[in-house]
Amino acid sequence: MLEIRWHSRAGQGAVTGAKGLADVISTTGKHVQAFAFYGSAKRGAAMTAYNRVDDAVIMNHEKYMEPDYVFVIDPALVYTSDVTINDKQNTVYIITTHMSTEELIASQPKLEGKRVYTLDCIKIAQETIGRAIPNTPMLGAFMKVSGMYDMEFFKESMKRILAKLPQKIIDANMLAIQRAYDEVK
Amino acid sequence: MANTGWDEFEIGAMLRTFEGEISDIATTLQEDRKYTQNSSFSASVADWRIEKPVFNKDYCIDCQFCWIYCPDISIISRDKKMIGIDMDHCKGCGICVEVCPTNPKSLLMFPEVADEEREIENWPAKEKKEK
Amino acid sequence: MAFDKMELRDTEVWDGNLAAAHALRQCQVDVVSAYPITPSTPIVEGYAKFKSDNYVEGEFIMVESEHAAMSGCIGAAAAGGRVATATSSQGLALMAETLYQASGMRLPIILNIVNRALAAPLNVNGDHSDMYLVRDSGWIQFDAFSPQEAYDLNFIAFKVAEDHEVRTPAVINQDGFMTSHTAQGVKTMDDDTAFNFVGEFKPMNDMLDFEHPVTHGVQTEEDWHFEHKARQHNDMMTIVPQKIDAVFEEFAKLTGRKYNQIEKYDMDDADVAVVCMGTSVETAREVAKEMREKGIKAGVVGIRVFRPFPFMAIAEALKDVKAVAALDRSAPGGTAGALFNEIAGSLFNSDSKIVLSGYIYGLGGRDLTKRHLVDLYTELQANADAGKVLTQQQQFIGVRGPKLAYL
Repeated sequence: MLEIRWHSRAGQGAVTGAKGLADVISTTGKHVQAFAFYGSAKRGAAMTAYNRVDDAVIMNHEKYMEPDYVFVIDPALVYTSDVTINDKQNTVYIITTHMSTEELIASQPKLEGKRVYTLDCIKIAQETIGRAIPNTPMLGAFMKVSGMYDMEFFKESMKRILAKLPQKIIDANMLAIQRAYDEVK
Repeated sequence: MANTGWDEFEIGAMLRTFEGEISDIATTLQEDRKYTQNSSFSASVADWRIEKPVFNKDYCIDCQFCWIYCPDISIISRDKKMIGIDMDHCKGCGICVEVCPTNPKSLLMFPEVADEEREIENWPAKEKKEK
Repeated sequence: MAFDKMELRDTEVWDGNLAAAHALRQCQVDVVSAYPITPSTPIVEGYAKFKSDNYVEGEFIMVESEHAAMSGCIGAAAAGGRVATATSSQGLALMAETLYQASGMRLPIILNIVNRALAAPLNVNGDHSDMYLVRDSGWIQFDAFSPQEAYDLNFIAFKVAEDHEVRTPAVINQDGFMTSHTAQGVKTMDDDTAFNFVGEFKPMNDMLDFEHPVTHGVQTEEDWHFEHKARQHNDMMTIVPQKIDAVFEEFAKLTGRKYNQIEKYDMDDADVAVVCMGTSVETAREVAKEMREKGIKAGVVGIRVFRPFPFMAIAEALKDVKAVAALDRSAPGGTAGALFNEIAGSLFNSDSKIVLSGYIYGLGGRDLTKRHLVDLYTELQANADAGKVLTQQQQFIGVRGPKLAYL
């Protein structure tokens, strides 16, 4: 069982990202689950989304999770939310920030000794898509860090998921995914 | 029908108006329609009456006011001519008398036991309007 | 007017709401009359979008309340259409009066209830308070434990409800958020296969049949009301369970997915078992497997058909079990949990020596964790060993503060 927790703000696309990722993984024959805690569901409010991936049908519906990966797609949540809650020894963090990994850890000591990767999903999204929607860049970074799928397969899959959007937006998303893949450290 | 058991009626709180299939109902006279026992047309409310309306065709101008106002659809009118009262469904409310515009009225209320022919013979005369 | 067909993959990643919306599309529902409410909104929103994108031939009626939504459904169903809607929580509470009208009038309306807590305090998350609120309304009630089942049970519900011997409306329950907003793999049917399973709608006593005029919703008073209600109950007790089994069988032949009025998991040799509904059934299944690795013979019974209640099947399923827990996801309001009472009723006149305890859990979407269930099975094993309930008969789990136990 692979488990992922997303930290996001309502409106930044964590739910769409989690469902998109689940969709891609599902096409490879694995079983998936994507859900979220919405709380009061106000745009801008901190929220969490979740992925489970397994070889067998996923029966577990508890919300409690000890994640293998933690995605943080809003830079302020590292300080205002406990992004390390219920983590494991080997939990991998991918965090969006304008800082380097070292600077980030220095600014948030809770991350010390953890496996932390960083990139600036917000900046990438703004420069490619033109809006601060950091979900697809995070998936690009995840592909690099996890080595889960070949990048071409992943991009083709994402093109199918985004197919209803204008071609220009799809192209921009592909660019964002590739940049995130290249820039995550 | 009053003794029908739970297993003897059609499901749903649903009642049929007519026996079998109907067509061209709009041009079929009520007395020729195949109403079911469930239709209120099949039930008489004659015994509800204490007073009854009596119709005197000598004064009627066929204005159809009584036909329009009757709450029980008990004024029988054919080709816009008032021909009488459906005494199975008239409850004796007297609205037809109230709305009758002729002088004297073409409809008047009498006790249920009154003899219709005698009352028509003794019908009130035209009222003189006071100036 | 022709409509377009939609190409689906064999497995789509859908949440429970989207799965239900696709089912309504594939059944080609004629009328959806709706007043959207969280968390059920995406079901009727989905139908409306499919309709405006020409994937369905039907009417969407926007109304001013849930009471009006179901009233619209009743009118459309009496007129002779295939009709469905969705609601949750407060919306269902406002709809409650009309639910009794629909079942009494024997109109085969399909209602997707995305289960949510009832205020106060206001809460949009999942529990079974709304399901319990209308449990005696004369509707057939199915319960889905996952998005796949929310999809499948819609087809099954239409086919059962619309059968001319049944003609009884049906609810499909699914857990708010835990199913409705959780995306999982859903095995799909193509549009033709799906529609052919439910078939063309066959009207009965419809008001648009001008050659056979009918009056719907008549007044009966003391001389008739009892006979009507008796007929309704008789059909629920005798005809409906058979039809449900037959449709479950037919659906299994088509898809390979077999449903049962109660779903039994690891029950053949179980010493201890939990009986529950919704997503908890699946979580409990996973925990039961883990308990077996620890030497506790654990099983799970999921209630697939809540009405008509599978009274005899429950007694049969539990006859060799030593200790069982009834899990109720609703505030009992001053008595034992509803499921506890139903199960107690089914066991009372049997020869079973089983001991039964009740648990109230998960109100307002409170997480039911695997750890809760491990503790619960451990407690049940102790009851089984002792041959009696060692705790009080009703306990709360997952609530903060001093331990709550009664009865």
